[in-house]
Amino acid sequence: MKTRRAFLKDTCLACAGASLLGMTFSQLTSCASLPVYKTNLSLKSVDVPLTSFVESNLVVVRDLQTPYDILLVKKSETEYNAIYMKCSHRENPVSATKTGLYCSEHGSTFDLDGNVTKEPAPGPLKKFKTELHDNLLTIDLNS
Amino acid sequence: MLRYLLLGGLVISSLTTLAQVLTREDSLSAGLIRTNNTTVLSGYGQAKVEFDFRTKTAVANLTRNVLFLGHKFSNRIYFFSELELEDAKVVGGKPSGEISMEQLFLKFSINRDMYLQAGLFIPRIGITNENHLPTTFNGNDRPYVETFVIPATWREIGIGLYGRIRSMPGLNYSFSVMNGLKSGEFVNGSGIAEGKQEGSNATASNIAVTGALLYYIKSWRVQASGYYGGSAGLIKRQADSLKLSSGLFGSPVAVVEANAQYHNNGIAFKALATVVTIPDAFEINRAYANNTPSKMIGAYAEVGYNFYRLIDAESHKNLTVFVRQEFMDLNYKIPSNGIKNGINRKHYTVAGITYQPLNGVIVKFDYVLRNTDERNEDLIVTPFPQQLPYYTSNGFLNIGLGYSF
Repeated sequence: MKTRRAFLKDTCLACAGASLLGMTFSQLTSCASLPVYKTNLSLKSVDVPLTSFVESNLVVVRDLQTPYDILLVKKSETEYNAIYMKCSHRENPVSATKTGLYCSEHGSTFDLDGNVTKEPAPGPLKKFKTELHDNLLTIDLNS
Repeated sequence: MLRYLLLGGLVISSLTTLAQVLTREDSLSAGLIRTNNTTVLSGYGQAKVEFDFRTKTAVANLTRNVLFLGHKFSNRIYFFSELELEDAKVVGGKPSGEISMEQLFLKFSINRDMYLQAGLFIPRIGITNENHLPTTFNGNDRPYVETFVIPATWREIGIGLYGRIRSMPGLNYSFSVMNGLKSGEFVNGSGIAEGKQEGSNATASNIAVTGALLYYIKSWRVQASGYYGGSAGLIKRQADSLKLSSGLFGSPVAVVEANAQYHNNGIAFKALATVVTIPDAFEINRAYANNTPSKMIGAYAEVGYNFYRLIDAESHKNLTVFVRQEFMDLNYKIPSNGIKNGINRKHYTVAGITYQPLNGVIVKFDYVLRNTDERNEDLIVTPFPQQLPYYTSNGFLNIGLGYSF
């Protein structure tokens, strides 16, 4: 029979192992994840080169100093969505998949236009205005 | 002059208040990316009128009102709380409603993909436990399997690690450690619900661990979760005297659950199955004579269609017609010192209409047909006429309102 000391040791090891595994997995990147464009989101606007959309119609715009990303959705050659990835319910960061966005905390889901497809989110995700010029997509962060 | 001074004072006071407290809408419209020290007020609630076809009586109740208060200390540390009032009022010394903290925790963001939350929180078990807002489920009552078998909302004090796996968009995990249940409080017919401690001077002599995997893929959301925790809640000397196993996982309770949800083109489907196992049920019954079962099972499936899609496919309004079938057996297996009662084997058929003129507001109509096996008359100690007859089949008509903002 296991002693209490051995049991506690095993439990602690299992917890540490699970945490380590989670951290390792979360740092992995592969072709399955969406392409990420790193930039500075404290500016008034951000320019994203259209070449970022070579791999996918979805691009995550990220500034590691800010808590939320922006998801760029290429709807056509001239139409793009820039969706702020902050849940309109409890402000949890939302995640993006190829078919939509979701909040793992309370289960809200959104389409690629930012509209709510499943509550509790009470309203759509915030969208920034975008403008195309010279092979650049400009996101107006003040819009 | 005094009038102008008073008016000016009121305006300044209002502006000061606005500067300190933002509603969720304000904080959204501010469009700020690097906001700190914001406070968010929010809430949800529901009310219903229930008509009992057997007794020909109706009950009107303000089921719950919940006030949410959140605060962002920094981009990495947040505070969340939900204060709930059930059944409209609390009266000292009389059977009445209940005030309780439904959640109160601090959330620490580790990185973009992981966070810790510590305090009184709801673990990821089942569908309704985490997502219990009235605007998120059909019918006035939460699914009965997630009331009796998985006791939503099930919250305890602990610490949880939540995250998503970046290399597999849609895959999320959680792992939590919290205080265990209290088996001395179990009541036959309500599963493990009465053993919840809900952060109120909880005995943490026992602990519990829970874990969940959640995956969003296309229009599906699938999840599997497990819980394993002690329930003796006693020091070794007391537990020994009652011949209960003590220690961190003494007198354990195990819950496993799997569920799936689908949403697409107005069609909504969800299903859940769960098993609760209490291997030391014999010892718990010997100690407390509370007729604890050694195994409970439950499952349900629901399908609905949003008929607004036929009128306007782009509409965000909701007029869903749904039907749900539920089954549970709260004494699926009982130890040799337990007594079976047919009323614990229940079937529910719920059919109704959900109307949402806009997000956050919901009107619900539903009919509930409840069928059970025969009551075990040996368990009735109060004879007729004090004891009302028991009907194995009964119907209820519910009309209700809900909101979430």
